[in-house]
Parts: sequence; C-alpha cells; structure tokens
Amino acid sequence: MSAVDKLELRLRALRSTGRKGIAPYVTAGDGGSAVTLAVLRELADLDVPCVELGLPFSDPIADGPLLQAANDRALATGTTFEEVLEILSRFRRGGPGEMGRDLPVIVMSYANPLVRRGWANAVNALARAGADGLLVADLPIEEAGAMHAAARAAGIAPIFFVAPTTSEQRTTTAIQLSRGFVYAIGRLGVTGARTELDEPAQAFLSRVRRVAGGLPVAVGFGITSAEDVSAALRHADLAIVGSAFVEHVHQAVSQAVAPRKLDAARLATREFLQVLASGVPG
Amino acid sequence: MPTTLDTTRFGTYGGTFAPETLMAPLFELDREWKRWTNDAAFQAELADLLANFAGRPTALTHAKRLSKELGCELWLKREDLLHTGAHKLNNTLGQCLLAQRMGKRRVVAETGAGQHGVASATACALLGLECVVYMGSVDAARQRMNVLRMELLGATVRVVEHGQKTLKDAINEAMRAWVADPTETHYALGSVLGPHPFPSIVAGFQEVIGREARKEFHARTGKLPDVVVACVGGGSNAIGIFRPFLPDAAVELVGVEAGGLGVGKGQQHAARFAGGEPGVLHGCYTYLLQDDDGQIRPTHSISAGLDYPAVGPEHAMLHDEQRARYAWATDDEALRGFEVLAEREGILCALESAHAVGWVLRERAELAGKRVLVNLSGRGDKDLDTIAAARRAKDGA
Ligand SMILES: Cc1ncc(COP(=O)(O)O)c(C=O)c1O
Repeated sequence: MSAVDKLELRLRALRSTGRKGIAPYVTAGDGGSAVTLAVLRELADLDVPCVELGLPFSDPIADGPLLQAANDRALATGTTFEEVLEILSRFRRGGPGEMGRDLPVIVMSYANPLVRRGWANAVNALARAGADGLLVADLPIEEAGAMHAAARAAGIAPIFFVAPTTSEQRTTTAIQLSRGFVYAIGRLGVTGARTELDEPAQAFLSRVRRVAGGLPVAVGFGITSAEDVSAALRHADLAIVGSAFVEHVHQAVSQAVAPRKLDAARLATREFLQVLASGVPG
Repeated sequence: MPTTLDTTRFGTYGGTFAPETLMAPLFELDREWKRWTNDAAFQAELADLLANFAGRPTALTHAKRLSKELGCELWLKREDLLHTGAHKLNNTLGQCLLAQRMGKRRVVAETGAGQHGVASATACALLGLECVVYMGSVDAARQRMNVLRMELLGATVRVVEHGQKTLKDAINEAMRAWVADPTETHYALGSVLGPHPFPSIVAGFQEVIGREARKEFHARTGKLPDVVVACVGGGSNAIGIFRPFLPDAAVELVGVEAGGLGVGKGQQHAARFAGGEPGVLHGCYTYLLQDDDGQIRPTHSISAGLDYPAVGPEHAMLHDEQRARYAWATDDEALRGFEVLAEREGILCALESAHAVGWVLRERAELAGKRVLVNLSGRGDKDLDTIAAARRAKDGA
C-alpha cells in the first residue's frame, strides 16, 4: 500500500465513522532529535490520526514568534535535512519492543530547503524515510508543478492550503490537487496568535467542507484550547495544533534535568493531548 | 494545474512563492497596478508629485576633478538630491498613491538603511495614510537618525529583534504583518524583490532614473555612456537606471554588490553573485546566499541597505544572460569611495552608493578613456556615525 493510500484510508475511515481528531505539529529537532522521536512515539501511542513534522527553516515567514523560536532552536542543535530523514526513519523502524509505526507523518517545510536539493530528490528522500505527505508553506498551487509531480511519483500526498482570502476557483483547484486532506487556514495571520473561529470563519470552513466532498479537511493556525478544537471540528475533520503544543513540550523539556528530558517530553505530550481531547466531539 | 503567466517571471527567476493568504492580495495588487499605471489621471498625479514635491528631474553632474584624476569621463546621476535623500521616494510615492487608489488605509514597509522607511513615512504623511515600518535592531542602531526622521513624520517604527536583526528580518516581519491584515493594509516593498508583482512594480516606478539620465546624458554629450554603474542591494536603484539602457547593446551595465570583509570562503559579505546560488526567499526564486542545507546564510556589509542575502530576480536574469555584469566592493573600498567623492567633488554620498564609486576607483585602469555614468542612489548624512567610527578604528589600528 502506498503512503497516500495509507493516509487516505486512515483519514477517510476517521471521517466515515464520524470520529474527528487532533493532528499535532512538531518542529523536528526542537530540543534535539531524541526529544522529537520521543514526542512522535508518544503521539503514536496516543493514536492521533496524523502528525505534521516541521523541517526547520531560518526564515519562516508564515510563522509567529513561538514557531520561529522553535525553528531557531532546532537549527541551533544542528538539525539538517539529513537529520530529519534520520528522525523519520528511526521512528519508522521503531524502538526496542515497538511495532513499526504506522502513524501518518506529513512533512511541513518551506520551499528553499527542498528546492536546494531539487524537488524530485528531496521528495524521494522524504518518501523513503517514511513520510506520507508534504505541505510547503510558501508554495501556492501556481508554483507547485514540480512538487506535485514529484510527490505523486514518490507515492506521497501533496497537500495544499486554502485561506479565507482564497477564491472559489483556486479553492477548487487546491482541493483537486491535494491528497490525504486539504489544509484550511482558520484565519488571516501567522501561526500562533490566539484565534477565534467566529461566524465568518465557520462560513469559510463550511464552504471548504462542501467543495472538498470526500476529501478530509484540516484546520489550523492559532488553535490552542479544547474550545478552539471544538469550534474547529464543527466543519473540519482535523484540528492542527502547532505553536501551543510545541511551546508546551518545549517548556517541559527545558525545565527537566538532563536524564529526565525524554520522559518530560512524553509526559507533556500526553497531558497536552488529554486536555485538548475534551474538545473533540463524541 | 493553473499555469503561471510568464509576466510573473524574469527568465526562470521571480515567481510568486507566497503563503496562500497572500495570494489574493497579490492578485489584487497585480490587477490594480496594471489598471492604474495605464490611467492618465494617476500618471499625471504621480508626475506632479515627482516634479513638485520630490524635486525631479534630479541633476546629472559631470565629476570633473575626479574624471581628470582617473583618466575617464565620470558622470553622476544625483538621486542623493531627491527629497528625503535617496531614490527610494520614487517608489514610495508610486506605491502609496496606488494604495490610496486601492482604498487601503495603512501601509507597512521594511527598511534596512532607513531610507525606504523614511520615504514610506514621507509619502504616507503626504497622502494621509497610516505607516508602520519594520527595522532590524542592528540597523536601527546604525541608522538612528532615520529612525528619528520616520517617527517625526508620524510613522510607527517596530524594531525587529530576531534573526540577524537586519533587512532580511525586517522583511520577514513586514510580510507577517501583511498576512495578518491584507484587506486594509498595503505592503510597500522597498526594492525589486519579493513575490510578483513587486519586482515589476518597483522597477516600473524607478525607471524614471534611467529615462532622465539617458536623455540628459545624450543632450549634454551627444553620446551614450560606455558604462553604467550602480550599487545593488535588492537592486532597485540599479534596475531603475539600467532598464532604459537595456536596448543599447553597446552600453555596459555593472551592478556592484557589497563585498563586506571580502568575498573569499569563510568571509562575510552580501555578494550574491559571487557566493550565492539560486533558491527561494521572500517570495521569489533568485540568487541567494545560503548553505548546503538551504538555510539562509548571515550577511555583512558596512551599509545596511546592501546587507541582504537575496538579489532582485530581474538582476538574476540579466546576470545569466550576461546583459549586465555584477561585481563587488568591500567595506574598505566603499569607505574610500565615500572619502574621495567628498574631497574631490563636494558630495557626501550614502555608503550604499559609495560601493559603486569604490568599484570605479578600483577599476580605473579598465575604465580609462571611457564615459562612465554612476547612479548616486543617496546621500550620506545617515552614515556619518558609521563613517566616523570606521575612521577612528582605522586611526587606532
Ligand atoms: C541610498 C541607497 N542606495 C541603495 C540602496 C539599496 O537598495 P537598492 O539595491 O534596491 O537600490 C539603499 C537601500 O536602503 C539606499 O538607501
């Protein structure tokens, strides 16, 4: 089964059973590779529907201060593209006594680290390491020809964004080009700041839901609390939680003493997901 | 898949690598810009502001003492005489007028040297728009007079404390501010950078430099220059003077980048064509200073306005086509250019512009007997602290 099939099967199953879920975002290498690996393993144990793994970039223009800081920390610990591949493949191989992990992983990147390697090379490497999908923050559909072709050839899901400002026609195209899910940006602005999924936002999400048909819809940018999750999941299938999750884990890890950091990361992950889970309907 | 119109590219460079939220505002800007640049009343209003507010046409000065000393015929296009002291006002008057026509009430801008910030604040004050300028803290310190000027003109200056704390980081923040409020806000980008249509809009508003210079040069000498030289940060003053000369195949075009402490391996500079490779930053595909992993490399220049890791995509095309040549001048060569121009011609030029002068001094052998036109993009008042400190350091050494 290809990664796309696996991702779609899993997300469509979620949809057909009426179950909805939280999809956390993790900046790869924040706190070091071992911390990222511990967080991924905990998320797999918690059986979240999928996870976004951020490839750090020096100039993340779509991100607010919390994720910028996480990108900087990850780069400062020496997280290269190769290192992210290593994290992914180690996660896929599983730790001692663990099953091979089948948690879908969507890699989230900015264009330049991938352009640097060439789209086909970069996407193939990600697919081989075990990525199921790819999302690029500064790659609109107009510029995505090479990425889309490379993703389809490598059998991973290309995923595109739609925003409240996106026209009807481009919404349709973004949905047609996306596999796995389409990413709806819940509000104008960068990641992180508090959001309120008010009536205009709900109208936008319901429009995306209608156009998406059978394709699952994820919503993200500024989801921080159980109430946000509940509002996000009124029309969407997945609530993506980035800044708030990354910051929560970062605080826990940086306060823990060295031998306890991995346990702290796992515990913080579990706590955070438990609090947010109360926002997930039935 | 919708195909991108070729107008968004310069050869293979440029494009629209923007977050999805900005796509609709960029499409709107593209539509409105095309509409208003073809509108006679808009053009007349801009022409009136350029003439009667900004002081165009700017002078063309024959630098006679220096010409004699160098053995060439040196001419200076005097953008330093434009209101606010640099070519940046050509662009901000155009863009702020456009923002007003588009019904925006707020303008955000980034600034490095502070000249684009001052020019934005000036145009906003004139046209009754709110103005917010992002500036890295390193630049705010080295160009503090310009921070004061912006504030006196009623703008809010937001000092950016992360990353390298220079122009790159100011652009990151200005883009984030635009993403948060694209309906009410216009982003007035200050150079021929960023996603389409910015490189074309800014070049369009700066072309007036080259149109005037070409016409006046021909009227005064009966000929065209052999070589046209301009410093290249993002590349707006250079594109502005280059464009009208592009059809004149015999006219050599030279862009001078910041060579910083030297362009050798391990040395810090901002010479994208000397040490960069194509990639994507701030919305466009162009030459970048980056590492093997695609992370943006730190830059250094004594001039804040040239201290940036990417170059405008039109320059990337002119470089590959070999229609223009790109060279560099180091911090020291720029300082020397500044001093020589001050002492021989009575002009205190901006440290950015001084790179073009410094290159001419270094290449005097090659330029002997030629007609050389240098775009003096700005005046040096903003740089006096930096220059005084550099001279003290040299005396101490
Ligand atoms: C006087 C002056 N010249 C040149 C520049 C560099 O910009 P560009 O390359 O867009 O002309 C600046 C930028 O701040 C400037 O202030």
